[in-house]
Amino acid sequence: MLRSEKRSLFRFLSIYLSSTFLLFLLATFIFYNYQKHQIIDLQNTELSIEAERITQKLRQLNQTFSKKLTYPYKKPFESAIYNLEHLYIFGSFQPKNILWSQEYYQQANRLFHIHPLFPYYLGASHIIITKEIKQKPIEHLLKMSILFLFIAGIFFTLLGLFLGKLFIAPMKESIEKMNKFIEDTTHEFNTPISTILTNIELIDTMYDCEGKEELKRIEIASKTLSRLYEDLTYLKLNHNYHREIESINISELLIDRIEYFHTLIESKKLKVIQEIENNIIFDIDKNDAIRLIDNILSNAIKYNKKEGELYITLNRKNLIVKNAGLGIKKEDINLIQNRFKRANSSEGGFGIGLDIISQVVERYDFKFTIDSTYNKNTEVNIQWKK
Amino acid sequence: MEKIIIKSFLINTLLVTMGTAEVPNMLQKNCLACHSQQKIPSELIYRRYLLKYSTHNNIKKRLIEYLKNPKKERSIMPKQFFLKFPQKRALDLNNTTLNSSVDAYLDYFDIKKKLILP
Repeated sequence: MLRSEKRSLFRFLSIYLSSTFLLFLLATFIFYNYQKHQIIDLQNTELSIEAERITQKLRQLNQTFSKKLTYPYKKPFESAIYNLEHLYIFGSFQPKNILWSQEYYQQANRLFHIHPLFPYYLGASHIIITKEIKQKPIEHLLKMSILFLFIAGIFFTLLGLFLGKLFIAPMKESIEKMNKFIEDTTHEFNTPISTILTNIELIDTMYDCEGKEELKRIEIASKTLSRLYEDLTYLKLNHNYHREIESINISELLIDRIEYFHTLIESKKLKVIQEIENNIIFDIDKNDAIRLIDNILSNAIKYNKKEGELYITLNRKNLIVKNAGLGIKKEDINLIQNRFKRANSSEGGFGIGLDIISQVVERYDFKFTIDSTYNKNTEVNIQWKK
Repeated sequence: MEKIIIKSFLINTLLVTMGTAEVPNMLQKNCLACHSQQKIPSELIYRRYLLKYSTHNNIKKRLIEYLKNPKKERSIMPKQFFLKFPQKRALDLNNTTLNSSVDAYLDYFDIKKKLILP
């Protein structure tokens, strides 16, 4: 799967799943609360029935004049009677913090029911009755709600994947077509470019002809085409390219690549100021390292002014390439890493250079910064991973 | 046999003594003396007050009002009650004595003292 495909699918799935999950979570929460309320209501009805039984017993007791009156206590209910001034008369328990304004309420794991009385048998205006809440039906409800959420989550994830794939199918098709086109085109480029470069070298070594300058231009143009071919192949293969991570001497590689660009540097009459520390070695795929260095150097040369200066610094901390050139506008710096974005349209190129740089930087956890003053200079800094 | 009879008599006497609270003198003198003589059911009256007014404060207020100016229409008891029992006269007691007597009455018949758990 291509990177852009993955990104689109991930975005679609995250929006779709998070909104669906939130909706279901809310619906389940409302359903759970409603059902829990129903369960509590049912248990409150039990309390109400028991309170009614106590009322009848109190009515009988009010007409009984024996020395002792037995309070109608029945387990598992605990009850107490209170007078009009909310003062305790008698009971099997003495509750604290009674919420007189409520018909029923919960305190800890008990349900309390306040049952009003009239007439006031034995002076009681209210019966407070309580019972431990039966947690089993509530726990069962909670389990079922979580199970429902879980099953719905799986179902909607699968549905999301299916819909997501349908959603990105046209895009995938277009990308594949485009990639096929680039692959075919670049493949056709490769052989003639190689032939041109080989023959230029042959002419240069075998003949001492007059058209040296023209030959150099052909070499520069051919090398530019060759790099473009390499970049396009790199981008095309990037998503499934098998990397061979090995210890690469970046110092040597950098000198080698500067040498590769010498024709281009000479043609622009640039003054190269190098500060390259020896034996900077770290583990990287060679092609990644070449693409990174080539693109930084290529852009620094391309967007430099004639007879300008090119500073190349390499040490254990970073690689800094600074040119005295056209510079980049502030608003363009943030956009510059986007593919096909060109900071200046006066020069050629497909704007894929900085995209390749950012991909390599991201892959190896390097830090990439661009600092530029418009019409003055641009400094690209690659900070190696610590 | 005699021993058993004596034992059961002693036990009964003990239970009766334990079950009956001592009647305060003031209550006996100012209230129950007449009530007992005329067989007026004092506890029934207390229960009727309780049924209607719930708290001792409310009962005391209503009872004092009635005792100062007793009339059939203001009585807690139904009209039929006065077919059997005479309408009482206003009590000739000062406020302090009247208050204390009513307090003693309410305390003596207090329902809290009678209620027990099974």
